[in-house]
Amino acid sequence: MTTTGTAGETPLFGPDSRFSAFFDDPRWALAIIRATVLEAAHPQIGAALVDNSTFVAHPWRRLRNTFLSMRRMFGADPAVREREAARLNRLHARMSGSDYRGRAYDAMDRATRAWVVATLFESAVTMCRLSGQPLDQDTMERMYAEYRSFLAALDGDVSELPEDLDDFWRYFDRVVEDELENTEAARVILYRLFDHLPAPALLDGAPTLWAAGRAVVGPLLGAITVASLPESYRRRAGLPEMPGASTLMQGAYCAAGLARFLPEGWINAESIVEALSLSPDGDDPRARTVAALAARMKRASALLRLLTPLSGVLHPDPAPSAGVGESRRSAEEFFRKVLDQTGDGHLDWPDLAAMARELCTRLDLDEPEETRLYDAFAAWWRELQAALDTDGDGRVSAEEYATAVPSLAGPALIRVAEVLFDATDKDGNGTIDADEYRTLFRTAFHRDLTTTDGVYSQSAFVSDFLSFMSGRRTNTAYDPLLADA
Amino acid sequence: MDGNGRWAQRRSLPRTAGHQAAETTVIDIIEAARAAGVEWLSLYAFSTENWSRPGTEVDFLMGLVRRVVRKHAPLLLARGIRCRFLGVADSRVPRELAQDFEDLATLTADNRGMTLTVAFDHGGRRDIVEAARSLIRSRTPADEVTEQLFADHLPFPDTPDVDLVIRTSGEQRISNFMLWQVAYAEWVFPEALWPDFRAPDFLACLHTYRRRDRRFGGVPPRTMGDPS
Repeated sequence: MTTTGTAGETPLFGPDSRFSAFFDDPRWALAIIRATVLEAAHPQIGAALVDNSTFVAHPWRRLRNTFLSMRRMFGADPAVREREAARLNRLHARMSGSDYRGRAYDAMDRATRAWVVATLFESAVTMCRLSGQPLDQDTMERMYAEYRSFLAALDGDVSELPEDLDDFWRYFDRVVEDELENTEAARVILYRLFDHLPAPALLDGAPTLWAAGRAVVGPLLGAITVASLPESYRRRAGLPEMPGASTLMQGAYCAAGLARFLPEGWINAESIVEALSLSPDGDDPRARTVAALAARMKRASALLRLLTPLSGVLHPDPAPSAGVGESRRSAEEFFRKVLDQTGDGHLDWPDLAAMARELCTRLDLDEPEETRLYDAFAAWWRELQAALDTDGDGRVSAEEYATAVPSLAGPALIRVAEVLFDATDKDGNGTIDADEYRTLFRTAFHRDLTTTDGVYSQSAFVSDFLSFMSGRRTNTAYDPLLADA
Repeated sequence: MDGNGRWAQRRSLPRTAGHQAAETTVIDIIEAARAAGVEWLSLYAFSTENWSRPGTEVDFLMGLVRRVVRKHAPLLLARGIRCRFLGVADSRVPRELAQDFEDLATLTADNRGMTLTVAFDHGGRRDIVEAARSLIRSRTPADEVTEQLFADHLPFPDTPDVDLVIRTSGEQRISNFMLWQVAYAEWVFPEALWPDFRAPDFLACLHTYRRRDRRFGGVPPRTMGDPS
């Protein structure tokens, strides 16, 4: 791997980099959304996102993974960076296909990956401009060098990004002018993602409050992001110009920029991301507080519902009666929350690949275990396709799944469970101990788990996995792993 | 809560007016019971057999109960009353009403003052059948089933045995009410119709109960003779 960049007095990566300075900056949240839209507007990236990404159905998990990955890439340790880059490359090498117009995409394409880095850099610069604290030329050049070496670490080659900052702006404008389109992925991010954003694990207990907040914030975030996009792209993509939108956008950036007056350490992106993915059932010391808070929110939303004025007519209840169905979830819910990882309403290879990807990320797998797990999932996919795809369109719809649920647990799924067990059992002693269990599930052994002497045997693991995947049991350790948003 | 219909008939009002008048009594009795130190109060609002009433009356009752629940939710919360709903299993219970029941139960779950159980769409036999099902599902060996174990499988197993049942309007039947729990209950049958029933009547019933000699199948202690 080539290491480029100026061999200057301060290292380009690590805690002193410009990038690290932005890490805990609230403006960065707005800038990341903007950068993601610009990425998604690139036809190749857009097609890959629509096909493969889990950001619609599981945005919080995706956010957490991206966050941790960035932290590794920009950390000070070159070994960690190299390993993460290799992991990202393997992950992206598995993504290729073609968009709705039949144009091929490949997540390993050099020019496309350069564009991802370009949007991140440009959004960081724009974020500073919009919040009224523009960067000076030296800082900008230094930051540009950082992002270029990020691409170098990832790709081993930076020829796609111009060496000089002046040339970069010409390059950026050219791509915006010539290549960006009004892709489906960009529209999804701007108009669908925030309006349908599922609650993070932390707020799962308060759906009413979440929905109320989302109804206000969702459209606002969309309007802010649209107003911050380059003018030429807005024109080409036919995005609306709302009166006051640019004022709103600049106000939002300025307000977020005011956080610099807060005492140091008050806003820490890592603890926010970690807190959001805290599940009330977890065993984290903070989880008890969260559980108490969730109970309070649940009561508050119950009171809120009881106090709202009566809404017209009563409907006889078609919903499942309480009591009996509590530990089992409906087929549709299981399909939506667990199987359909990309949230497009169909079960397809990218959905299973996303599951494999999540498991590999959790377990921090290297080759060849990663390929073994992917292969097991691929075999399961072929089995599913053969069993469930009755209309032969190559994918499985929710209806096809609902009519054929019992046939889900075939030999290939058992194989997936076995491979997953082997991958989780890092020391290869035939049982999963408490540490290995925690790596996979981020929680301690459950109280009701059939464990002997604090270990988890292969047969128990396989049968629990199968009962989650086919018996549709809820409240298992797999829920936060595959079902949580 | 008997006699709403007759109360309305005597006043030449539609039956629904009787149900409306019952609301005042319900709130009055809850207050009286709390003030008198009653810890467990159950109200039989709607039985599994009441579904056979005319459709319009059932619909009206559902709407009325929903309004009453929502109207008095803050009061029940403030008075420290833990509310819960026994039954509510039929699919004919409107979804919104079931949601309100659940919300009120959630809201008052931590209250410790008095437990108010509202039997709605309740049948004593159905509860016993459900407990039997749950026992079989848990694969309990036949020899291990005791009265206590059986009771643990009933809905709301923390409910103690009922001490006193008050049935208004002079009716003297059990009508499938909490069959398991009323095994040793004392019964009082005041003549007042439910909409006319008030706190003083309730206290009179409590007074009657206090004078009852509860033997639980044994013999009165004074006939047992002096042990010395």
